[in-house]
Amino acid sequence: MTRSRFSQLLGVLSLATALTLAALSPVQAAGTGYIFVSTEKGNEVVVLDQDLNVIKRIETSRRPRDMHFNADKTLLYVACGDDDAIDVIDVATLEVIDTIPTGPSPEVFAFSPDEKIVYVSNEEDSRLEAIDMETRVSIQDVPTGAEPEGVLVMPDGKTAYVTSEVADMVHVVDTATGAVTKNILVGTRPRRFILTPDGSELWVSCELSSEIYIIDTATNEIKGDSLIFVPPGFREEDVTPVGMAITKDGSKVLLSLGRANHVAVIDAKSYEVLAYVLVGRRAWSVDLSRDETRAYVANGLSDDVTVIDMTSLKPIKSVAVGRVPHSVVIDD
Amino acid sequence: MTKLRAVLAGVLPLAASLLWSGAVIAAEVRVGYLGLTDDPRYLADVTYARIELNPGGDPVSAAKMGLADLEMVTASVDKTLTLDHRTGADAAGLIAAVKEMAAAGEQFIILDLPAPLTDEVAAATRDVGVTLINGTAPDDFLRSRCHPNLLHAAASDRMEADALVQYLRSRNWTKVLMLVGPETRDKEMAAAFRLSAERQRISLVDEREFTLLADPANRDANNTLLITGGVDYDLVYVADSQGDFARYLPYSTQLPRPVIGSVGLVASEWHWGLERYGAPQVSSRFAEFTPDRRMTGQDWSVWMAAKAIATAYAKARSDDPVKIDAYLRGNRLKLDGSKGVQMNFRPWDGQMRMPVVLTTHNSVIAIAPLEGFLHEINTLDTLGTDEPEHKCQ
Repeated sequence: MTRSRFSQLLGVLSLATALTLAALSPVQAAGTGYIFVSTEKGNEVVVLDQDLNVIKRIETSRRPRDMHFNADKTLLYVACGDDDAIDVIDVATLEVIDTIPTGPSPEVFAFSPDEKIVYVSNEEDSRLEAIDMETRVSIQDVPTGAEPEGVLVMPDGKTAYVTSEVADMVHVVDTATGAVTKNILVGTRPRRFILTPDGSELWVSCELSSEIYIIDTATNEIKGDSLIFVPPGFREEDVTPVGMAITKDGSKVLLSLGRANHVAVIDAKSYEVLAYVLVGRRAWSVDLSRDETRAYVANGLSDDVTVIDMTSLKPIKSVAVGRVPHSVVIDD
Repeated sequence: MTKLRAVLAGVLPLAASLLWSGAVIAAEVRVGYLGLTDDPRYLADVTYARIELNPGGDPVSAAKMGLADLEMVTASVDKTLTLDHRTGADAAGLIAAVKEMAAAGEQFIILDLPAPLTDEVAAATRDVGVTLINGTAPDDFLRSRCHPNLLHAAASDRMEADALVQYLRSRNWTKVLMLVGPETRDKEMAAAFRLSAERQRISLVDEREFTLLADPANRDANNTLLITGGVDYDLVYVADSQGDFARYLPYSTQLPRPVIGSVGLVASEWHWGLERYGAPQVSSRFAEFTPDRRMTGQDWSVWMAAKAIATAYAKARSDDPVKIDAYLRGNRLKLDGSKGVQMNFRPWDGQMRMPVVLTTHNSVIAIAPLEGFLHEINTLDTLGTDEPEHKCQ
């Protein structure tokens, strides 16, 4: 408590500095190439370079989980569940420069398209909270089913989607009013979302019924049957899908299969599996490099990150990072 | 402040869900909950030294939490589930209560009763059209009664024994000294452990009965050094449902060996120390309903029974009671119990499949089924009486 208060105070000062610096230096188009991994029990964001060497361990507030960059990738935001805060990391200096206080136990978050509002799922008190980034004031507090998790804001900023892990549903939230306009019943323990690049399909991973549901964003109805991906030698109940990534052309989806220790690479149109790639234990978050030649997978139970070569669809290497890796993002 | 938060958290989703249901008026569905008046299993048993022998308590609040957790889901099919909590003092009163609840249109009743009463109630109410879910009786004999109207959300003694024995097998601790108390429950737990040990070829080097009587003539059975002497073993298994002998056993054995069973490494449906699979959120929601104690295995089972019922009402896609009941019992039910896997009821004995946690007083050491214990259908069926060995009695 004292620490987060202190870092909040410190944050206001350093944010001002950072903003000044950002205004002076031109935005780096290519990025640093760094790979950032949040570790839930390490209380740090681990930074790897392109050769997969750990170059820095950034100490954060406790239990860092979901991470997102701002649009120009100068800042990295990290939701820290046990300190009720989103830390802000300066990508150039690799320091925590600011902390945004949130409701209890923030897990996953998403920005409005103009980055003025952050939508955060507060796992402990079952809310989707909207925080004004400038004033740091909570401007909406939407009650959800218990244990809200995945959050996605549509590109037009008018609709937000949030899953409730306990209530087995996706809530559709009108961002103008903060009201839930629809509940979509999906499989057991829905976790994360991806949106196809054309914005037409919202994929939802349902961890404990092993399914992927696809929601038609035009109607907010479930489209077709749920999809189940079972690698050879596994049973359906071994498959606990969580993290997803989609290529920019919308042709391929990467889906982490959790306890089945594989990532499925799926043709996003035909839903055919192109490959099952062996990764570490309890594979969760997955992210693609900008050129989409590599994918990075955080393995929560083997404490490492697996790098997948997207041409051969084979794992290249697994790198130990720290206790309970949660999310991976790449600045490239 | 915490209390206010809890109240608000309860009221707001309700208000919101009422809004969503729009003009449709939600149908009220009552879910039964039947307990025993002054159930001795939930007496605090605090001695003069304020040592709690039994950390649990009446699990009814866990049932309320189960319905509250799924309130939005049931609201989405325009149903509002409320708990009808009743108690009875004896078998006649309990049976009458079930019949009244059935007559009032209740379709599911969670039973929070000791096994003999559960058995009597189930036998006497077979034909009233209600499905009973055993929330708190672990006794194996109930599973082999094959009451068609009875399901079990509590883990059986055999499931807990199998979990312990898998752990012993995985560590190659194969020689066990078994100590058994005088109570019926002690003997039931020991019998389950014997069957589990046989399944995994763990040898029981000796079985000895302990007593709490302190007179010198009983010293072979009341002295922790003497009762654990004269034989070699890898560890001691103690079956002591009252717990008053077991709690003095660790560090008091003749040989320096670990103790498992009713103390030391203990098998259960749940432990507050579980950190994975969203378990901490479940434990903290439980704390809002029951601030004075931590969530136990009995609380977990009752919570799951309520969740199973609410899920069936929400997802059966029918208002036909027969179809709702079939959904609850079928393999389309994929329940989340915050133990990382989907769960449902075994068709042959009505037992809920579930992982079993192996715990010390403050940590989860392992979760069974352990890695490497495989099954031709479902690895969860490595815990408990499997279909080929199941017999109705």
